Amino acid sequence: MKKRKITTFDYVLNIFFALICIAMLIPLWKVMVDSFDLRTAYGMKLWPEKFGFDGYASVFTNPTLYRPLLVSTVATIAGTFVGLTLSTLGAYVLIQKDMPGRNFFSAMLLFTMIFNGGLIPTYLVMNSLGITNTLWVVILLPGLNVFNLVLMRNFFEGIPRSLFEAASIDGCSPMATFFRIVLPLSKAALAAIGLMFAVAYWNDYTTYKIYIINSDLFNFQMKLRSIILGSDLPTATGSATENTVRNAATMVAIIPFMILYPFAQKYFVTGINLGAVKE
Amino acid sequence: MSSQVEKINPDKIGKKPLSKRIYEHRWYYLLFSPVLLFALTFYYAPIYGLRYAFYDYKGIKEPVFVGLANFEKMFSMQGFWNAFTNTLEISLFKLFLTTFMSIIMSLLLNEIFNLKFKKISQTIVYLPHFMSWVVTASVFALIMSPSQQGLVNALLTNLGILEKGQEIYFLGSSKWWRPAYFFINIWKETGWGTIIFMATLAGISPELYEAASIDGASRFQKIKFITVPALMNTIVIVLILNLAKIMNLFESVFVMQNDAVMRQADVLQTYIYTQTFNSGALPNYGYTTAVGMVKSIVGGLLVVICNIASKKIRGRGIV
Amino acid sequence: MKTNKSSAMKKVLVLLIVLSLVLVACGPKDGGKSNTGTSTNAGSDTDNGSATDDSSSAEIEKPEKITIMVDGTLVTKANGRDAFKAEWEALTGIELEIIQPDHDAYTDNLGQVLASGDWPDVMLLNSAYYAGYAEEGVLWDMTSAYDNSELKTRVKDQALVDGLKIGGSLYGLSPSRGNGCITYIKKSWLDNVGLDVPTNYEEYVEVMDAFTNGDPDGNGINGDTYALSSAGLIGEEIPFINYLPEFYQDAFPSFYINENGQWADGFVQDNFIGALERLRDAYQAGYIDKEALTNGTSDVRNKFYEDKFGIFTYWAGTWGTNLKTNLEANGLDGELIAMEPIEEVGAYLERQAPTWVITSQAENPEAIFEYFFETMLDGGLGQKLFTYGAEGTHWSTEGGELLGVTYEDGQFHMLENMEKAGTLYTKNHIDPMMALTNFTEFDDPGILSVAEEALVSAKTFGENSRLVELVPSSDVMSQYNGDLVKLKREIVANVVLGTRTIEEEMQRFEKEGGLEWSQMIVESLNAK
Repeated sequence: MKKRKITTFDYVLNIFFALICIAMLIPLWKVMVDSFDLRTAYGMKLWPEKFGFDGYASVFTNPTLYRPLLVSTVATIAGTFVGLTLSTLGAYVLIQKDMPGRNFFSAMLLFTMIFNGGLIPTYLVMNSLGITNTLWVVILLPGLNVFNLVLMRNFFEGIPRSLFEAASIDGCSPMATFFRIVLPLSKAALAAIGLMFAVAYWNDYTTYKIYIINSDLFNFQMKLRSIILGSDLPTATGSATENTVRNAATMVAIIPFMILYPFAQKYFVTGINLGAVKE
Repeated sequence: MSSQVEKINPDKIGKKPLSKRIYEHRWYYLLFSPVLLFALTFYYAPIYGLRYAFYDYKGIKEPVFVGLANFEKMFSMQGFWNAFTNTLEISLFKLFLTTFMSIIMSLLLNEIFNLKFKKISQTIVYLPHFMSWVVTASVFALIMSPSQQGLVNALLTNLGILEKGQEIYFLGSSKWWRPAYFFINIWKETGWGTIIFMATLAGISPELYEAASIDGASRFQKIKFITVPALMNTIVIVLILNLAKIMNLFESVFVMQNDAVMRQADVLQTYIYTQTFNSGALPNYGYTTAVGMVKSIVGGLLVVICNIASKKIRGRGIV
Repeated sequence: MKTNKSSAMKKVLVLLIVLSLVLVACGPKDGGKSNTGTSTNAGSDTDNGSATDDSSSAEIEKPEKITIMVDGTLVTKANGRDAFKAEWEALTGIELEIIQPDHDAYTDNLGQVLASGDWPDVMLLNSAYYAGYAEEGVLWDMTSAYDNSELKTRVKDQALVDGLKIGGSLYGLSPSRGNGCITYIKKSWLDNVGLDVPTNYEEYVEVMDAFTNGDPDGNGINGDTYALSSAGLIGEEIPFINYLPEFYQDAFPSFYINENGQWADGFVQDNFIGALERLRDAYQAGYIDKEALTNGTSDVRNKFYEDKFGIFTYWAGTWGTNLKTNLEANGLDGELIAMEPIEEVGAYLERQAPTWVITSQAENPEAIFEYFFETMLDGGLGQKLFTYGAEGTHWSTEGGELLGVTYEDGQFHMLENMEKAGTLYTKNHIDPMMALTNFTEFDDPGILSVAEEALVSAKTFGENSRLVELVPSSDVMSQYNGDLVKLKREIVANVVLGTRTIEEEMQRFEKEGGLEWSQMIVESLNAK
């Protein structure tokens, strides 16, 4: 990496981003402070008044929050895998310009983005497949994401044609081309879209709300929502630490992706996709 | 390095017979089969449900055919039209605003020299996306509180722009609700939107920048002539794809709306929600399907129109 | 980039195998729902074994299994539902299947389950759905079963059951009262401003003024507090006015039965104008929290605990203790007075509790009435189970120390909450202070474990409340009420916030069709 001069622009940019980061953090800071504060309060504070880990302890040791975390993790990993598989396969096929029916398939997929049969019919179909109230429905149903598929296709289209030609001359089957050329050159896309799938699966609660009745299969977001909304029930106990638990649970939902993103970011480095072209 | 140069136009080459082409692409059909299976099972199988738009269906007995009654009912209610126009206005503005901000932020992030600081900034700006809307609304209600406890009002009074006792009730005012809404959306979604653009930027060859440097291009010129064009494809696709979903706007508005701002803040999905849950009667799935159909048609039209526009302007669309 | 095709495939295969194992392990433990195709009036396949589904038969044969659908008001899986189920089955000798969706998703799931055609035998419904489903023939008419039951003789207040009748027929039972909100005042605040508990609106205004402009919290600063706060200026559900009764007084924003026994819309009556004026004046004077419009219930509670205001109209019963405990946890004086309604209010409004119903698809509904409903309210072990939960899981009579309190052998006490460590269970489904029937086979075992404040507030409320009428469902209502409600709420907000005058808004109400919709709905209700 060539060293270049640090200009005023760089300083200004850095200060600008420092300010932006602080501004972005303010609401998060409030949630974080409240998650450690045992004194229920209304208002913004810089530090917790009565520091305590009770909220987090509740989240991690409480058996009823433990299992949802597990469900979330399994569903997210499995779901991201399903999502990436479908979007990469679909995108790969859709870039074959001379394949008969390609436009038809493309339109078919886009149609699903626009028209939806509705809640009850989808529920009835899932029911007849027998997958309601199991983890299958939460993993498979959000798997086909045409938005991500089209984005992936956009990335694939950036791969030079010459590579494909070279591959077919070498006798590579489409499958082989897919695994040996397309995927390795799409690291940034896979990281970005994989991340988007992972987040979608992790944050998903509507699918659970609709299709899952068995509380053993609730995911973390479901649990989180019932903690946040449930404390308002006339039948709630309204303990003093409820506020803390709420905020702690909110933070716990954020933390995994706070940690994950830097790892995905290393694929966003310029020039990662190149190298193969210099053959 | 772009594929534009080497694009092979199948129309120019002698077209092979259809059956031969199908056979040649047999593996591709195989690879596509799981996608097809998913689409058929999860999206096309339930599509028969669209017909409920023409029925009265409470989910208990067999649906009763009522023809266009649901649509008549829908179009005759002033509340529906209010919600409809609000949805278009709020959603379109929000889409363009947040996409624009994400692009600017991506471009700026890309320019950060210190890699560590870049990563930290990237991570911090995308974190707000993970806070659920329920919590977001509650925290911002506090930040925008019409009292000295609200950060915004405290800031404004300290700067002398406002008098004490004249605090603005942002979320409760019909004048300020939408700006506040957009502000909160920018906070929450800008960083998330940068992901896809950052990934695209990663694909730009550094040689282009080097060549430009040699030619004496300034930083801004590089951004203007290399970075932005490289992003254009992604930008257009992101915009068009999001257009298909703009009528679905719900949660962000739902958690922030209140009685005083209904004129400005009611959108189709919240309208349906009130119809379904606050009417004191059983939900009519036929009616909700009919509204869903109207939403879909509008979304579909927008996509088609923009796609055509895109084809005319840039020579390619998303189909 | 040495991704080898076969090793990639292997990884994929391994991953798939692992995943499927995990998913199988994570699948539903109880039998998954049976498949049905489209929704038709298919005979229920949940119940079996009972030969008699002929209601004229005198012999009620015990069913083998009963399926119920309930929300979070019954103990959830995480809170010992299995123990509850086991004890119930031991008590009745019948298998119990419990379908319990997430509390938040209950009504959605209800609709779906019914649409799938596979109806449970028994369900818990809120008042709107109860009225609506009764209308649609989903519910079994239990009037004669109830009238001939032993249960009827022990019901404390027949009016509660009569309130559930639609067109003279009974379609469901609520085992407890619906509860409502009572006004709590901080005693320390009253003492600090030297006033007594208000008994009419004039005195109430005096108290509000002192709380707002005086120094009720004793911190030496005048005017940094306000009198009261609420979550919204008008509620989302019946009875709508529960958080601000002193202002609404005898006005009601929705449909009610007037002196002539006819349905009318309270919003268009003259007394509603008075209500709007009172609300507006109090708000403009700063007595009511400026953010009442956007407050959520937890925001309001937090502000209360922060000593920002002194009058809080909130749920009677256990919340009386909760509020006190939380105030004390924040270092404040937690003594609250659960005040009787002021003169102009007359009686606090009590809402309709969720109702248990038997679906029309259930085989052998008489047996279900006897074995489920009568057990729930049998004044003995069944009622104890529904009120306090299962022995050893939710309550115990064993002596020992628990959370700092020592219990003697034989002393009834609740056990530690499995989901919220550090707190005790308070009840199962039926609130002991609000049950429909008394314990007759033995004394209420748990009443001593209920805190004093909760009892007082529940008692005060019970003596000073009236039940809101159940509004029947109609197609006209389903068409217009959504928009009507929205318009009404908008008007209330605009008037109270001062952005529009009452005359303007009432004109607008008529102009935008609100008056017309209201009249149409009232007509349709009266036509029944």
